[in-house]
Amino acid sequence: MVRDYNNRHALDQKLRGTPKPANADHLEVGHWQAIATVLAHVGLETAVERALSSTPELSLRYCGPGEWLVVSEVDTPVGLMRRLDMLCGTQAHVVDQSDGRVLMRLSGPCARRILAKGIGVDLHPAAFARGGSTNVLCGHIAINLARTGEDLFELIVSRSFAESLFDDLMTMGRAFDLSAAFSD
Amino acid sequence: MTAYRLSSGGLVDRSKALSFTFDGRPLRGFAGDTLASALLANDQLLVGRSFKYHRPRGIVSAGPSEPNALVTLGSGARSDPNTKATVAELYAGLTARSQNRWPSLGFDVGAVNGLLSPFLGAGFYYKTFMWPRQLWEKLYEPVIRRAAGLGRAGLERDPESYEKSWAFCDLLVVGGGPAGLMAALTAGRAGLRVILADEDFRLGGSLLSETETVDGGAAPAFAERVVAELQSLENVTLLSRTTVFGWYDDNVFGAVERVQKHVAEPSAKLPTERVWRIAAKRALLATGAEERPLVFGGNDRPGVMMAGAIGTYAHRHGVSAGKSVAIFTSGSSGYRTARSLSAKGVTVSTIIDSRPEASDAVPHGVRVIRSGSIVDTKGRQRLSGIVVERSGFEELIACDALGMSGGWSPVVHLACQRGARPVWSDALKAFAAPDVGDTLRVVGAANGVYTLAGCLRDGAEKAAAIAAELGFNAAAAPLPVTETEAEPSFAALWYVPGAKSKAFVDFQNDVHTKDLGLALREGFGHVEHAKRYTTSGMATDQGKLSNINAVGILAGMRGVSPAEVGTTTFRPFYTPVSFGALAGTSRDVHATPTRKSPLHEWGKKHGATFVDSGLWFRSAWFPRAGEKTWRESVDREVLNVRANVGLCDVSTLGKIEVFGPDAAEFLNRLYCNAILKLPVGKARYGLMLREDGFVFDDGTVSRLADDHFFVTTTTAMAGAVMSHMDYCAQVLWPDLKVRFCSVSDQWAQMAIAGPNAREVLQQLVDEDISETAFPFLSARATALRGGINARLFRISFSGELAFELAVPAGYGEAVADQIMEAGRAHKICAYGVEALNVLRLEKGLLTHAEFDGRVTPDDAGLGRMFSAQKPDFIGKHLSARYGLTAADRMQIVGLKPVDKDKDIRAGAHLLKEGMKPSTLNDQGWVSSAGYSPVLGHHIALAFLKSGRERYGEKVAVWDKLRDHEVIAEVCDPVFVDPENKKLKA
Repeated sequence: MVRDYNNRHALDQKLRGTPKPANADHLEVGHWQAIATVLAHVGLETAVERALSSTPELSLRYCGPGEWLVVSEVDTPVGLMRRLDMLCGTQAHVVDQSDGRVLMRLSGPCARRILAKGIGVDLHPAAFARGGSTNVLCGHIAINLARTGEDLFELIVSRSFAESLFDDLMTMGRAFDLSAAFSD
Repeated sequence: MTAYRLSSGGLVDRSKALSFTFDGRPLRGFAGDTLASALLANDQLLVGRSFKYHRPRGIVSAGPSEPNALVTLGSGARSDPNTKATVAELYAGLTARSQNRWPSLGFDVGAVNGLLSPFLGAGFYYKTFMWPRQLWEKLYEPVIRRAAGLGRAGLERDPESYEKSWAFCDLLVVGGGPAGLMAALTAGRAGLRVILADEDFRLGGSLLSETETVDGGAAPAFAERVVAELQSLENVTLLSRTTVFGWYDDNVFGAVERVQKHVAEPSAKLPTERVWRIAAKRALLATGAEERPLVFGGNDRPGVMMAGAIGTYAHRHGVSAGKSVAIFTSGSSGYRTARSLSAKGVTVSTIIDSRPEASDAVPHGVRVIRSGSIVDTKGRQRLSGIVVERSGFEELIACDALGMSGGWSPVVHLACQRGARPVWSDALKAFAAPDVGDTLRVVGAANGVYTLAGCLRDGAEKAAAIAAELGFNAAAAPLPVTETEAEPSFAALWYVPGAKSKAFVDFQNDVHTKDLGLALREGFGHVEHAKRYTTSGMATDQGKLSNINAVGILAGMRGVSPAEVGTTTFRPFYTPVSFGALAGTSRDVHATPTRKSPLHEWGKKHGATFVDSGLWFRSAWFPRAGEKTWRESVDREVLNVRANVGLCDVSTLGKIEVFGPDAAEFLNRLYCNAILKLPVGKARYGLMLREDGFVFDDGTVSRLADDHFFVTTTTAMAGAVMSHMDYCAQVLWPDLKVRFCSVSDQWAQMAIAGPNAREVLQQLVDEDISETAFPFLSARATALRGGINARLFRISFSGELAFELAVPAGYGEAVADQIMEAGRAHKICAYGVEALNVLRLEKGLLTHAEFDGRVTPDDAGLGRMFSAQKPDFIGKHLSARYGLTAADRMQIVGLKPVDKDKDIRAGAHLLKEGMKPSTLNDQGWVSSAGYSPVLGHHIALAFLKSGRERYGEKVAVWDKLRDHEVIAEVCDPVFVDPENKKLKA
């Protein structure tokens, strides 16, 4: 028997339903995402980083020496794996995390103030510039945080923690009327 | 004494009247009042009863050092005990209640303690511990504890909400008085990221009660201008109502902001309080100085206040503390206050100066008594007069308010919280801040600079210096113009001799001079001992006013300098912080995060009952209609798996991908069994030891390619194993070429177990999964029909023919649905962790109930897995220790109750039949127990001394906790299918 399988998003329970209008401060969650861990072979860290950075479709999130989460907004999970294999398959190990991580995009004038309620890292542009990323705790939960714009941050969290992080973020944003929705 | 609202003046908004109640009595104040100023304006002098003697007490200060005016705000679950009326901002509808009195504040039965005071001296509480012993529990403890005390903590759930926030800055300025404001302004203009925190609801500090002019205008107006400019600067954050309570490592400060303490109807969008963690490159303490009380007879009568506080109430709040005010001073500040009060129209009758001579200007019409002292006060629940002594002559002077001014103590608390002690300064006659380096500096009155001009300059200069250090260009701004002012001076006066009644040192804990004398006589003269013996400085105010006098008195009695006595230890918190604020949002369900399996919704759909398992929710069992107990559901699930097939969610297992040319070698050193030669496409059970030879964790190792492994861990140890691997790779064997990452969340993993498992699963995969093509312990990446990537393993934790299927997490539910549908004809059922546990128990398979950190592989019956041939692995060497190889170690065995109706309970101990229970006779313990529906009776796994030699022996299973004892037969731990026929079907 040939089957058609549905992929259930980790925040399906939280976000399914009629879309609400986005407020100035908004948490957007993509229904689909392509994320992979890239582990550079020992000694080839710089080469791998160079190869990854030179591809405009890919966004790199630093996780540790020679280790990145690579996010693509144009690829499917399988497509991203193929692209990464071709790009650095001989120099790095590539692991699909598209189902294991949830990406949330926080935007708005108060984004920094919202994140400051859970994150002990200075998010002033002088200290955490656009393009910066780091593994950090948000409250009790480990995430990878990246700044992708002046008032735009992306949080990547392990799937099993996604609901808890979502609840925490909504509490952190309550004073600013933070809204949330799937992006598509 | 009659306190009253002055006809004009003050920073209160007289057009905004606010109603509030005190002990049920309706009163009115104005916006801008504190509860204390509003109480004074209503002539409510008596506000509380003291801790021990239940003496009537009134307001002493106008700030956070207040020892007496502690009240309970609000009611029911919202009540807030021990709130200082002097810092509580008045709002419409506020309700306040006095504390530690019964039946009423005016008539308090506990005041009888005052008559018993000869028996209630310092240390009496400790002496009740000694003798007679019988009285302790029945009499002393309950009676003393009820009689002494402050407000009562509520037992209802706290309805307020709290939160925490981080903040980062170049400069944190603590205190928004003249020095702090100038510092913030200078740094703010230079472009530094500045945070200015002040505990008051209005910024300005002493400027708000200052009578001198600044830049030709009123001081409060100057403060307002500076605050307005600071507000306009994007790089400056102003935090009013915020107390900086602690200084921690890396120049991180803790602060609590009272966001909604001053509103009757809090908004649900905001917390009541917010704790800030402020990481500052530099900090300036502009915390000001505290005026010292004087220790004289009857100094605790309501109406006796700090002189500066009387000034503050007059100037800032437009309230006069009395119709006729006297000032008792040991320095020039008393005169300054007298002048400012006179200018405000408050009648000052007398200044009693302890010094023989002084050049301070005396306001017109005020009598000055030099070399004078006060030896007693008169009045019942409020001051009516003072007994002044001079050269042996006593005089009763009528007055209804008395201001005390015993000099100044810089507030250096924060600077001393990380080990450095304050330093005695002979020049200041006070303890000054220690030099703690560049990151924290002290400025203004906290630095012993007491003139307004000096504070403004000190703030500006130190901020400019910090700006320069941090690479900013701070242009020198002209300092505000102030009036010429003499540096205040005072004589240290630790206590006033000749007291005719109790002279209190610590008001809040009712410690008087004689208590300190007793402490010294009984050998508790060291300042830390004296503190604990007398409780001086141990109250909620932590002796902010009193400690300096206690030190001075001890120094006097010992005949040494206060420098030699030193101070007690300063620790966070500067003022009390509620537990709620410290917990922030981490309470109730948010106390820890919750983890959900990708099959959580699938479980719900099938009616799962969930169980907390660490942070996870796991499906425990799936009750069906008619099943009344969990056992019925679990028994059915177990029997169905053994007879047909079942599906269980095992997604919570830790999963790690291991890569690299040295991956096999790396794993070979991590596990105690051989991994090196594991063939590609095969899985193996793996056992990890700790360095000390005990079992750390178990799981499976599958080789997917030469340089690619997939390992699983137990749910509980997923994080610990990952850290262990990181440690080993980075620290122990950095030469190994290996990389790994967690994929625990990427895969939904299902166990499909039972004789029909293959028929069910074969419907979803094209691949041949027959016994020949995919035998026991096969492992392979594959794809489901429909194109989903999957991993398939032939492993079993039930003893049945079983597979584990992993698919990308998002597809988990859809795939599980398909399996259930495909399995319908084969009588598939969902089974939970309880059934999983029974299935493994029947097979003698082990979990962390057995691997409790005291168990070696041999103890667990896994001695064959210990690969002594391997050159090295973690745990190998220490496993050879005698204790770990001794013949009488406890070994895993099975237990069956002799009487088949009886149950065995986990945690019970084992004894030889007929032996008395004792540690010496202890033979072992039960690690896991449960009912086997296959056998129809209870079974258990246990650790028993030399257990493997004792099959067939009867032992007593003794459980004192649940008062339960049965006789059981020792047997092999594998209860069902010991030949593993079903596994390899």
